[in-house]
Amino acid sequence: MKRLLILAAGLALALSGRAAERTLTIGLVAKSQGNPVFQAARVGAIDAAKELGAKHGYVINIDWRTPNEEDAQKQAEAIEQLVLAGAAGISVSCSDANKLTDAINSAVKNGVPVATFDSDAPASKRFVTYGVDDIECGKQTMEELAKVMGGKGIVAVLAGNQNAPNLQKRVQGVKEVAKKFPGITIRDVYYHKETAQDAAAKIEQVMQANPDITGWALIGGWPLFTDNALKWKPGTVQCVSVDALPAQLAYIRSGHVPVLLAQQCYEWGHRTVELLFDKIVLKKDPPAVKEVSQLIPVTKENVDAFAKNWDKWLPK
Amino acid sequence: MMSWIKNLFGAKESGLLVVILALGALLTAFSGKVRLPVFEIGADGERQRVFITNEAGERVAAIAEKNKFLNVQNLAQLAKDTSFIAIMAVGMSVVIIAGGIDLSVGSIYALSSVLGALVFQYYGTNGAGANTPPWLGVGLGALTCVGTATACGIVNGGLIVALRVHPFIITLGAMAILRGIAFVATKGQSVGGFPLLFRELIRFETSGGLSLVPLGVMLLVTLIGWIFLSRLAAGRRIYAIGGNELASRFSGIRVEGVKLGVYLLSGLAAGVAALLALGYYGSASSGDGQGYELNVIAAAVVGGASLTGGKGTALGAVLGALIIQMISSGIVILGIDQNYSQIIIGSVVIAAVVLDNINSWLSNRRLTQASVGKH
Repeated sequence: MKRLLILAAGLALALSGRAAERTLTIGLVAKSQGNPVFQAARVGAIDAAKELGAKHGYVINIDWRTPNEEDAQKQAEAIEQLVLAGAAGISVSCSDANKLTDAINSAVKNGVPVATFDSDAPASKRFVTYGVDDIECGKQTMEELAKVMGGKGIVAVLAGNQNAPNLQKRVQGVKEVAKKFPGITIRDVYYHKETAQDAAAKIEQVMQANPDITGWALIGGWPLFTDNALKWKPGTVQCVSVDALPAQLAYIRSGHVPVLLAQQCYEWGHRTVELLFDKIVLKKDPPAVKEVSQLIPVTKENVDAFAKNWDKWLPK
Repeated sequence: MMSWIKNLFGAKESGLLVVILALGALLTAFSGKVRLPVFEIGADGERQRVFITNEAGERVAAIAEKNKFLNVQNLAQLAKDTSFIAIMAVGMSVVIIAGGIDLSVGSIYALSSVLGALVFQYYGTNGAGANTPPWLGVGLGALTCVGTATACGIVNGGLIVALRVHPFIITLGAMAILRGIAFVATKGQSVGGFPLLFRELIRFETSGGLSLVPLGVMLLVTLIGWIFLSRLAAGRRIYAIGGNELASRFSGIRVEGVKLGVYLLSGLAAGVAALLALGYYGSASSGDGQGYELNVIAAAVVGGASLTGGKGTALGAVLGALIIQMISSGIVILGIDQNYSQIIIGSVVIAAVVLDNINSWLSNRRLTQASVGKH
């Protein structure tokens, strides 16, 4: 009986040891808590953790450590803290690539692989980056806008945080394409705090001061997260925006925005968790360091089909 | 135990220390274990991971199991994360003790960071001045960073004294102006590529891989702040002005000069914090330090500084910053859902201040009773 008990205890210990070994934590550090695109990334990461966990017999925890507002220093601290808290891998969208490079390198040195999404730190030792090509994103936005404007008019660019390197690249892309259209003039690039209200207020201010503007290139979708950002009759001022969050889709239906260019923000979390799992558990490296995700054009034709995705992507 | 702590730190700080010890004990008890890789110093003097051969004959990385909170790496990390806010909080405490407020510290931090960064970049490995002796580039960059911050403090103080406008208004305006200048100076770009000497100096690691320079600077600033406020006449004048400005004026204190001085010190502290962060993180942008003014004020107030003036200490400010950082780090260590972090931090900050006030009230009551007993 005593032997049996010892055997049972030993077996329980071995099983619990095995269970502990098959648990892993992946840190997710986005740019800011309040931005819905990052909440979609979070849902994507959690879904990937569940799917991979079920498939491979792991318990994968997603440890979400994102600053309330954009702050690269806080992101660097979060990466350092995640390493010390025992994270097996980290996925991060960098507010300032320079500032995060050392933190990423230090994590890698401590045996914690790092993937970046949305906004990269190219000089760091991250093993993969996933997201749109930002210059191409700016180009595509301007090309779509030029198309709906008939190649002529005055364009304003709404560009969010002036310090974000990915947004600067998108602005660059917009300007490059605008040069190809002699009938199009870019009035200015307008920056703002990355909240929906601030962005909507900025559009209102700019339109009051510049009523001759006939097109808006929104390289982020911030103002369209409110329901009354574009205070003109549909079709009088054209607007093309990056992102296609649920609130933005209403502008497609109302005719204010003919094209939205959806970033695959759910995939930011989902895909990077897959890539990290492959690296950590399956010891498999990605085929290339840069994995580009394409923008999905959303128009009146496919808006309802696209809207169904959000039932899955939004936090429950 | 309590009396020993009180003798060592004074009644005000002893309450904070008790809160810190209690938080530390809770985090140690509930944090659980973490498996961390083991490092050693290799033949080339670099830290490298230790590998062992397991029972199956495979070469695997050696792992040590430690308490998630109570391990040297985590405590060094906690000290480093605390240091930037704590240093600024010492400067802010001086301002608050004098009855003022400085809402521009976050922007001073950003402007001094980016101007310092531009100089460091010029003398950095890819900069136009790369061939200059490294010590010169580092010296000029540091001087620019700390000098800019000090100058901002002087301008703040000068305007408050000269225009006789409430410091809230002047520093609120300065907050926007200075961040605007930082943006214009950098065109919104992140500035990096500093001299290696500077990075290695601030990021210097002990053989155990600990970065202790920020901690060292924080302790030095605390010591200087403590000596200044409690041992020098200049420090006592600040308490006098904060306690009763009119009475101080009638007793011959040059109030304007002291006010100018406190904003200078607040700027200087922000500059030192910015310099440390530049060296540690290796870049600066005009978005740096956003919202830090509230963290810094919170640290000073949790540390016992009274917003009505006349009360506060340098050590209290540092302990206040440490409490806030312990809660923030504790949330990560305990794996608490970050959705609740702001609620927890806000609640614990209020609880810490209430506990500290109760402790002070009990001390004062005991003092009064003892005094009544003597008579």
